[in-house]
Amino acid sequence: MLSIIVVLPFFSALLLGIVYLGNTKAKRYTFYTIIGVGTPMIMTLLSFIVTYQVINGSDTLHTTLLQWIAIGDLNISIAFMADRLSVVMISFITFIGTLIHIYAAGYMKEDEAYGKFFAYFNLFMGSMLLLVLSDNPIMMFVGWELVGLCSYLLIGFYHHDTANITAANKAFILNRVGDFGFIMALALLFVHGAEGGFTFEAIATHISAIDPEMLSLIGILLFVGAMGKSAQIPLYVWLPDAMAGPTPVSALIHAATMVTAGVYMVARYSFIYVEIPDVGIFIASIGAASALFAAIIACYQSDIKKILAYSTMSQLGYMFIAVGLGAYSAGIFHVFTHAFFKALLFMGAGAVIIALHHEQNIFKMGGLKKHLKLVYITMFIATLAISGIPPFAGFFSKDAILVTAFTSEHYIIWGMGTLTALLTAFYMFRMLFSVFHAQAKEEHKLQALPKTMTQPLVVLAIGAASAGFLGLNEAYGGHALINTFLSLPDMKLHVSHATEYMLGGLNVILALLGMGLAYTLFAKNAEEAKENTRFKSLVIHTFYIDELYDILIVKPLLKISRLIENIIDPKIFDGFINLNIWGYLQSAEMFGTLQNGKVRYYALYILVGLSAISCYMLIKLEVL
Amino acid sequence: MMDHILSNIIFLPLIIAMVMGVVQAPVKVLRLGAFFSSVVTLFLVLWLAYHYDPHGGMQFVEQAPWIQSSGFTYFIGIDFLSLIMLLLITLLMPPLYLYMMHEKRKGYWYNMMLLQTGVTGAVLSLDLVLFYLFWETMLLPIFIMIGKYGNGLRQYNSMKIILMTILGSMSMLFSIMYLGYMYFETTGVWSFALQDLATLDFDAQTFIWLAAGFLLAFAIKIPLVGFHTWMAPAYGSAPTPAVVIMSSIMAKLGIYGIWRFGFGLFETTLIYYAPTIIVLALIGLLYYAIRAITEDNLRRMFAYSSGSHLSLIALGIFLTNIYAWSGSLYFIGTHALASAGIFLMIGLLYKRFKTVHISELGGIAGKAPKFAFFFAFFALSIAGLPGTGGFVAELLIIIGAFKTNIWIGVFTATTMLSAMVYIFWMLQRTLFGTANNTTEFSDLNLREVILLLPLVILLILTGIAPSLFTPMFEPQLSLFLQDALHAIGASK
Repeated sequence: MLSIIVVLPFFSALLLGIVYLGNTKAKRYTFYTIIGVGTPMIMTLLSFIVTYQVINGSDTLHTTLLQWIAIGDLNISIAFMADRLSVVMISFITFIGTLIHIYAAGYMKEDEAYGKFFAYFNLFMGSMLLLVLSDNPIMMFVGWELVGLCSYLLIGFYHHDTANITAANKAFILNRVGDFGFIMALALLFVHGAEGGFTFEAIATHISAIDPEMLSLIGILLFVGAMGKSAQIPLYVWLPDAMAGPTPVSALIHAATMVTAGVYMVARYSFIYVEIPDVGIFIASIGAASALFAAIIACYQSDIKKILAYSTMSQLGYMFIAVGLGAYSAGIFHVFTHAFFKALLFMGAGAVIIALHHEQNIFKMGGLKKHLKLVYITMFIATLAISGIPPFAGFFSKDAILVTAFTSEHYIIWGMGTLTALLTAFYMFRMLFSVFHAQAKEEHKLQALPKTMTQPLVVLAIGAASAGFLGLNEAYGGHALINTFLSLPDMKLHVSHATEYMLGGLNVILALLGMGLAYTLFAKNAEEAKENTRFKSLVIHTFYIDELYDILIVKPLLKISRLIENIIDPKIFDGFINLNIWGYLQSAEMFGTLQNGKVRYYALYILVGLSAISCYMLIKLEVL
Repeated sequence: MMDHILSNIIFLPLIIAMVMGVVQAPVKVLRLGAFFSSVVTLFLVLWLAYHYDPHGGMQFVEQAPWIQSSGFTYFIGIDFLSLIMLLLITLLMPPLYLYMMHEKRKGYWYNMMLLQTGVTGAVLSLDLVLFYLFWETMLLPIFIMIGKYGNGLRQYNSMKIILMTILGSMSMLFSIMYLGYMYFETTGVWSFALQDLATLDFDAQTFIWLAAGFLLAFAIKIPLVGFHTWMAPAYGSAPTPAVVIMSSIMAKLGIYGIWRFGFGLFETTLIYYAPTIIVLALIGLLYYAIRAITEDNLRRMFAYSSGSHLSLIALGIFLTNIYAWSGSLYFIGTHALASAGIFLMIGLLYKRFKTVHISELGGIAGKAPKFAFFFAFFALSIAGLPGTGGFVAELLIIIGAFKTNIWIGVFTATTMLSAMVYIFWMLQRTLFGTANNTTEFSDLNLREVILLLPLVILLILTGIAPSLFTPMFEPQLSLFLQDALHAIGASK
């Protein structure tokens, strides 16, 4: 069953791809939809069955599809493992994935490359499940790279515009920078700790054999991979640009699933990270910095999808704070709730964009409250959730993270997280009010939205409102179901209820403050941010990080390339060879002059030669 | 036919070419004959692979005296190393001939058949003089094909490749002759058979010089950095079939040579050269890749790409552990498939656009989706995307590198990044965006899809199920490695 969940989407992608390439002009809407949307539906069903089995059996399920390679000690199989962590992941990935597929069937309906889209989309689902279900690091890496490929293909989906391809390239290359770290970590892990085999379970039992310094290095390098995939400082710059892809792609890949793979990875390797808490603090710091940094930028963006992209980066930062500080299940819990409300926000944004004929600037929208009622209500719920207003999902998961930071006495990280919470509420409501409440600048002729686009929003809104209850902890009268179920090696913290209420209360107050501020500034008349101060213009230009990358990396690389082309190859290497050829020709000419056809010269040569030989013989015979 | 199967595989193309030449066959018959010979050799090799015993050593050996007075023997055989090379050669020929189907110039076909005999002979020879003979034989058709059927500065470029390769060949010939002579000195009989010469023992200094003779030839063929300036011009000027053979087969013969003759004759001495070559290979890995970024000519870009990956393969050989060795050997196969694919695509592109310059291309994906798919697929498999064989090979080499030394490992792992930059930027400018060329672009036709499909399928198979292929070479490779390590250990 596990194998089917992973393999099925690959086959459907292959089928869709072949049919599409067979005749790219043909309209086969029904066929593509049945295969493309049917596949994730079956996957969801199967995932739920697997989840049910794991919950009731409480055992880890294993299946081996085939042996991949066996060289020396490297014995890798394409094998899957459903433990508690992975079933939580697959159940929401397939479920939300299916909803987004349904949504995409409406969103992409008019697109010429509809078949291609679903081929890529299904390929992504397969790759993502490979990543999550794999029982060994190598296959996880394969899935990790393949989701990157799908991300590349889908960001560049509208390939006529080169800017989109540039964005796609940027995403792939920066992800590969992360993967560079990832693969080094895997190689080191294999070289130092693969006595018992190279599956997660085997490595975990032999982890003590690796010396702590090496383990720290491995931990850091693994996290470099996570930085790339989950868009953390400094490898985040691809995520805002990735919004060039169709909106369902942003919802599925760049919000709900793929970008959270980095968090999943840290949780998956938690057996390493519990040994190296210092690296964990480093991870948490990067997370906190990314959370705050992205939130600041989000406050000044005008493009609805870019706001959501920075918001994703910011929320991912929270997740890394959690997993960095050893609260793995809190991190995964936030991954879980975030998937609901962020997917919903993106899909709502997509609905607005479609309704307004591809307008993405929130300040050109306004007043859509009445016209897009359903979208408005669902997005409002999602915004409440992400801002951390109880009882919506985001409050509980975010609260758990901040409580962890506070009680483990990482006050700076906690402070940054709390400030981010304030900013989050501000920029999210800024977006919401600008789009739906503020006075419309112009009359909109709205395009009608198909049911396939609006119905999934309702389902997600229910999730965004209620998913938090799964992780309700004691202070709020729950049993932290999801945390207990995950049974990850969490750091044990003793938190008094009073602290919890205090911190939770503070967060709610800050969220309401942010909301109120946004209301006064944007609910009536929304204006785009102006570059009237140094700080503002710095933020609006996203701190010129792209330009910095250009100066530090891109330009020098091109310069070296040209240097090789124009100087090193022709002047030095060929220069050396040509020097020899020149010398050869010169000597040929020199010897040529000797051969002048005059007998008396030839007689002289003979004489010289004979004398030389005689001298040599005389020396040899030791006469001289 | 199966009695002297190896000889048949070597000489069938040559014999057919000679018969065709004698009867002055018209080009239609000639190309049919060529295609026929390639298919028959393919089947012979598949039969051979099926009957090959992966646990046995040298098999299907044929030995016959040739010039007895000088000890030259006709001595051929096959082991895991030559089997892989042989499979590659024969697998690539039918697609190449399918690609060439509309070629009207007879010389083209004769040269290709001669080339097949040359490269096949070289990988099967166990006598060094015989090897040398085939080694030079394969050069001749390349020289003619670049000089006569090439483009650009074809005569200059063909001269350049010939002179540089002959420089290497000469030094190798000198080493071979010296080895043969020393064998005569010590035993009183002439022999150039590899197994005989391997028994010779000299002082370290002599070994170093003798090894240098061979290594120079192989370093130029691969080419390692510093010996490479023939490469881009030759690839740029050569017609597509010649480019495919050069990058997929001939460059790999340099690697093959290091393995067969380098480790066969002087494994302990190679350790003396290992640091130098490891450094050269690591430099090459990045040097070529960075150079490729700004290259505008697709053929030359993938020439550099090929240089970069061959440096990686060469690196793997000098990291003497099973991961790096398996990785290198695996890479020989998968890189041959991928680079054959990409050069064929460039050839098909040229047929349509009459240009291979990136700056004159763009927007192909919109006009020809099938073409774009295959092109992107091969480009990505060059970049070592997981799911294609290249990834497996690179992974093994990276692990092998880390096994040797962490810093070598770090530099080796840059292969994850190095190919990425030029490949993706190239894809952006060729396939995507708006077309800046108004030429009508016809998508791939059925014949072209058929000739490319086997390469795609093999690349995916090697990527998702390497365990189908590794048993073919793993047992013998481990033994070979153990012997080499044993010899190296004994010398210390």
